[in-house]
Amino acid sequence: MSTSLNLTTSDGPDGVRVLAAVGEIDMSNASAFADALTEAVRPDGEPLVVDLTKVEYLDSAGLAALFPHADRIALIAGPLLEPLLTISGLADLTTVRSA
Amino acid sequence: MSGADTDPRAPADVFAVDGEIGPDLARIDWSAHPLGPPDTWPQSLRTAVRILLSSRFSMWMAWGPRLSFFCNAAYRRDTLGRKYPWALGRPANEVWAEIWDDIGPRVDTVLRTGEATWDEGLLLFLERAGYREETYHTFSYSPLRGDDGGLVGMLCVVSEDTERVIGERRMATLRDLGSDPSVIRTERETLAFVSRQLARNPQDLPFTLTYLYDDGGARLVEATGLAEGHPAAPATLSLDDPAAPWPAGALADGEPVRVALDGPVFTDLPAGVWPAAPAEALLVPLRQQGGAPYGFLVAGLNRYRALDDGYRGFVELTAGHLATGIASARSYQAQQRRAEELAELDRAKTAFFSNISHEFRTPLTLIMGPLDELRGRLPDADEQVRAELDVIRRNGLRLGKLVNSLLDFSRIEAGRMQARYEPVDLAAVTADLASAFRSAIERAGLSFEVDCPPLPEPVHLDLGMWEKVVLNLLSNALKFTFDGTIRVELRGEGSTAVLRISDTGIGVPAAEMPRLFERFHRIENARSRSGEGSGIGLALVRELVTLHGGDIDAESTVGRGTTFTIRLPLGTGHLPADALAPAGTGRTPASAEPFVQEALRWLPADPGAVVAGDDPAGGPVQPLSGGAPARVLVADDNADMREYLTRLLRSAGHEVHAVADGQDALDAVRADTPDLVVSDVMMPRLDGLQLVAALRADQRTAGTPVLLLSARAGQEASIEGLEAGADDYLVKPFPAAELLARVRANVELARLRNHHARWRTALVDSLQEAFFVCDADGTVVEINKAFTAILGYGTEGLPYPAVHPWWPDREAEPEAHRQVAAAFSTLVEQTRGTYTVPVTHRNGHRIWISAAFNQVDEPDSGRRMIVGTFRDVTAEHYAVQRETALAGLSMRLSKADDLTDALLGVLDELRKLWRAAGVLTAVFGDLPAPDVTATDPAARWDTLPQERRQALLALRDTPLLTPVATRTHGAGIAVEHPHGTMALWIDLGEKRPFTEQDQTLLALLAGHIGQGLHRVHQIDQQRETALALQRAILGPARLPAGFAVRYSPAAMPLKVGGDWYDTVELPDGRIGIVVGDCVGHGLRAATVMGQLRSACRALLLQDPSPARTLAALDRFATLLPGASCATVFCGVLDPATGLMRYSSAGHPPAIVVRADGTAELLRHGRSRPLAVRPGQERPEAEATVAPRATLMLYTDGLVERRRQPITAGIARATDAIQQGHHAPVEALATEIMERLTPDDGYHDDVALLLYRHPGPLELEFPAESTRLAEVRTALRGWLDRCGLAPAHAYNILVAAGEACANAIEHGHRDHPGGRIRLRAAATAGDLRLSVTDSGRWRDRDQPSGPHRGRGLVLMRALMDSISVTPGATGTTVDMQARITP
Repeated sequence: MSTSLNLTTSDGPDGVRVLAAVGEIDMSNASAFADALTEAVRPDGEPLVVDLTKVEYLDSAGLAALFPHADRIALIAGPLLEPLLTISGLADLTTVRSA
Repeated sequence: MSGADTDPRAPADVFAVDGEIGPDLARIDWSAHPLGPPDTWPQSLRTAVRILLSSRFSMWMAWGPRLSFFCNAAYRRDTLGRKYPWALGRPANEVWAEIWDDIGPRVDTVLRTGEATWDEGLLLFLERAGYREETYHTFSYSPLRGDDGGLVGMLCVVSEDTERVIGERRMATLRDLGSDPSVIRTERETLAFVSRQLARNPQDLPFTLTYLYDDGGARLVEATGLAEGHPAAPATLSLDDPAAPWPAGALADGEPVRVALDGPVFTDLPAGVWPAAPAEALLVPLRQQGGAPYGFLVAGLNRYRALDDGYRGFVELTAGHLATGIASARSYQAQQRRAEELAELDRAKTAFFSNISHEFRTPLTLIMGPLDELRGRLPDADEQVRAELDVIRRNGLRLGKLVNSLLDFSRIEAGRMQARYEPVDLAAVTADLASAFRSAIERAGLSFEVDCPPLPEPVHLDLGMWEKVVLNLLSNALKFTFDGTIRVELRGEGSTAVLRISDTGIGVPAAEMPRLFERFHRIENARSRSGEGSGIGLALVRELVTLHGGDIDAESTVGRGTTFTIRLPLGTGHLPADALAPAGTGRTPASAEPFVQEALRWLPADPGAVVAGDDPAGGPVQPLSGGAPARVLVADDNADMREYLTRLLRSAGHEVHAVADGQDALDAVRADTPDLVVSDVMMPRLDGLQLVAALRADQRTAGTPVLLLSARAGQEASIEGLEAGADDYLVKPFPAAELLARVRANVELARLRNHHARWRTALVDSLQEAFFVCDADGTVVEINKAFTAILGYGTEGLPYPAVHPWWPDREAEPEAHRQVAAAFSTLVEQTRGTYTVPVTHRNGHRIWISAAFNQVDEPDSGRRMIVGTFRDVTAEHYAVQRETALAGLSMRLSKADDLTDALLGVLDELRKLWRAAGVLTAVFGDLPAPDVTATDPAARWDTLPQERRQALLALRDTPLLTPVATRTHGAGIAVEHPHGTMALWIDLGEKRPFTEQDQTLLALLAGHIGQGLHRVHQIDQQRETALALQRAILGPARLPAGFAVRYSPAAMPLKVGGDWYDTVELPDGRIGIVVGDCVGHGLRAATVMGQLRSACRALLLQDPSPARTLAALDRFATLLPGASCATVFCGVLDPATGLMRYSSAGHPPAIVVRADGTAELLRHGRSRPLAVRPGQERPEAEATVAPRATLMLYTDGLVERRRQPITAGIARATDAIQQGHHAPVEALATEIMERLTPDDGYHDDVALLLYRHPGPLELEFPAESTRLAEVRTALRGWLDRCGLAPAHAYNILVAAGEACANAIEHGHRDHPGGRIRLRAAATAGDLRLSVTDSGRWRDRDQPSGPHRGRGLVLMRALMDSISVTPGATGTTVDMQARITP
């Protein structure tokens, strides 16, 4: 049984692109997450909003996918993930908003 | 194994081991005996009898309820005596009725406790030789066990010490008797001293009486052990009274008499230290050398010892010592009397001389006159006649001269000296006198200067007296001058004429100068031409010079010479007028001839005039009547005397060698020891006394008898001579017959001469212990009979230089050799010491000796010597070795857990005991290949050398317990093993003999091994059965997660009791928990418990309701005896929620301690114990075991204490949980049991069951990333049950996830297909997680890849502590997180 993860990229009416992840991110599906990020990140312009509110589990494999895009993304995370993002130092490189 | 009835070695054969006792045992009607026929005997009895009979050590054993008696041949010989064969098979208390009071308690102790006893030198009165006998035994009683291991008899190994104990006691008395020989005592003191010593040995001398003979009777002088006035000890005895208690007359004949003490006077003799008084006495005469006995010693005899040679010898040695003491006391008294007489004699002497001296002159004149006539008439007589006439004349002249000198003295002393002073030409007179000496002086090789120029006037003097003055001084000068010059010088100095006579002789020591002119004074030890001299010459010279109004003095330097100076006044004023005479009218001077003749005899004889005595071939040798001719050395400085003695002794048939002084005599004796030395006392160089002292100081010549001759008469001189060590003393003149008689007596007595030496030899030879003397480098120079008896080496081989022939061979027995070498170095290096070593008897047997030694300085030579004794401790050594080996074996056998362990222990003991290279056993049982066990763990039957396998097969077929030894390599024996016959082989590994004692020991040990293995085997089987049973009834082998249990039965060694616990995993996932307590403990309670437990378990599975389960159990318990009133706590727990329904049948409440430390007692759902009111419903309650709370169920044994309410115990238990609820549940269980253990341990069964909620999570999954999600799900659920806040739980989830990801990535990247284990457990205050992979990380702290490095950082940040432990089979990550409540 593989870890369940749904990734949805949508461009909002305000022109903001949002990548929403639902499920868990670990080493078994981190590459899919990374691919989705790479695809969704805009080479220029507005940062990509990555919505992790519905992510129940994220570990260093998921963080590793996020770090390369740190200066072009903004994160939305629930209270569960916030300490992790802070500890990993990702919160210092990008903006994190509470859900 | 074949059955007992077909085994050729079995029952009937039991007695065949020994040809002496065996047949007599076989003759006993065993069918009528309580032990029954031998073919029904248990294996253990057969083994014990076989060991007994085959042993060469003295042993007996008792078996069975009546303690039936068995013994072996050695015991029969040494101890049982006449009781054989009557004693065989009889009850031991009947056989040894007379000593049962002593040994009975010891036997009881052995049979009661199973512990061996050990007694050394115990006094026992045995009746084995027809009388009650004083005996001493060293023995041990060891328990004998039956086939079932129970105590059924005992084995006694005995060695008899009687000879040693009694011998030591007698030796002590003899030693004490000789302890103080230096003090010469009066007879009274001597007797009292001896008596005191005898009184100290009341065992061998219950009483003694000492009688001495005096006028016609015997008088009691000392008594021990009998009160004064006892009828058996009359103060006087008549020699011919037949009614007297002791035959005093018969003893005067000198032979010992044995007297039975059965007369009326003996009726109330005291018993002393013994139970009964003596029945016999031995009377020994106190023998006197060469005379009738002094008296006799009555020795009451110990009635518990036979009067054997040893006992008789002891009494006789004692009497001998008493006689010697009396002899020396009496001799001392006699000498004292003589000394007093001497003083009186001395006073008479002077008077005697003056009276007698002139009486000599008449016979002398009548000798000399006719003699001169005879010589004149026989000018042509033969040489022999002339020579003898010359001897007579020379000695006549000398005697005349001495007599004249003595007369002069007497006259001077009496004031009757009549001098006539006439005027003389002093120069001419003096020169004339001097010239008479010229030839003698020049013959002595000296130059002679006479310088006497005429004086201006004549000098008045008495010519006769002057002559004596000058001749005496010249004679003196010649005597003490050996080279250089003698000078006579006359001068006129003022009104004085001065005469100086000087020599270049030996001189006079300054200390002697003041006494130089003293009468009879002689300078001792001065070197001179002759030892002769009266000591009156110079004294007379001074008296004579004084009569002339002159004076004389002397100047001397030792080694340079002496000058005498005489001053005579000129004129006549100093002389009495009536003594003046005209010239030429004075006394005609006596001839100078006596002086000159005497001097000439001091000088070496003319070459032609060989003295007969110096020629060994000269003179006829006649056989000595009544004995072989003796070789006699004669030493005398007087040539005439030398010749005379030589002729005399030759005529008696002796072989004579003559020398001129003591030094020559000493040299001659050292070169060739004669049978006797006859020596003058006064001699130049070395006098007679010095000669004796020198001879006695040298061991080689100390025994040579010496007869001293001297003109110095009197007791003083004789005592001096004898004290110096001379054997006899003869005063000149002596009759020829007297001399010959003394010479013969001394020669014949020479060997018997030394009392002390004989006493010492007797003492040393009577020692039961071996005695030896060695010199400083360890050479044995003296030994006694016991030495020869023990070692086989006799006096004929003396001296025995080290390395002694009894040392064990260095090649064959290096260890024994080393022990002896070490002991030897202490012997020669230490001043005293003891050692016990193995040595080799001359016949090759191994014996053990225990020696003690002391260094002493030999009194005469001052040389350091070593004196030692030893005894044969072979039997003791082997007894100790046997006891030690048995103890070691028993220890190994009793500690062994199973048969293999026991056998390995036994082999190890045997290997150590014989210092073997290896010990090997092969059991020939049901298996196709023999089962080999060896000290070499690698040994297998297949890999053994062919010849070893052959040897083991051969050993299997030898009779059981019969050792088989090869000459040098080792020994084997067949033993019964529970699985079959076992061949046991001891490989000595080196060339070393396996002695007979070794074989006996091996047989003994093998018997024990066989029995021991059987016992271990039985215990083994019983224990396995018990364990299996126990496992079946105690509790589940596997507990559900989160539980810990403890069980402690009150009754050991059972591991079950009346308490129990149980967990039942129910089909719905819940868990049934039961803790119960049946009434009582031990095996009975355990059987009830087992059934209740099973029933409860079945009921729970059928209907998981605690109340209904207990109600059903009520009904079951009613039918089960002993189950009534059991208490039970029964619960059903949901491990997912911690919810528990429970019911209690009179059981103490369960305790729940929550994570925050608060406690709750589960008091609800409580009702009566089981089967009290069956049929009634039971209540049920519900409780929650909150996250990280601890539930404890227990039985009352854990908490109940005497004189304390149970609530106090429950509070203590609650506290113990609270103290430990941060520990894992297993550790907590241990801690609670320890904390609550009373000081003297638990008195009751204790069962304890702990549950911590939730139980640990344990997951194992393949190392694949796709499995991570489900792992997280499980962990999430568990963390939830732990009651963690979501944020905290998430942190732990991530940390665990990282650890698992690491394990997949690093541990298994190179080893796919591995597995990962995750374990999580909670305590009240923390969580512990561990993730273990089965692979190996490349670099444990720096995993490659950026995000994996980040993973570790995350884990560290999220958990409180983390550690990574790499191992050979995988890496473990341990993480811990604290939980704040």
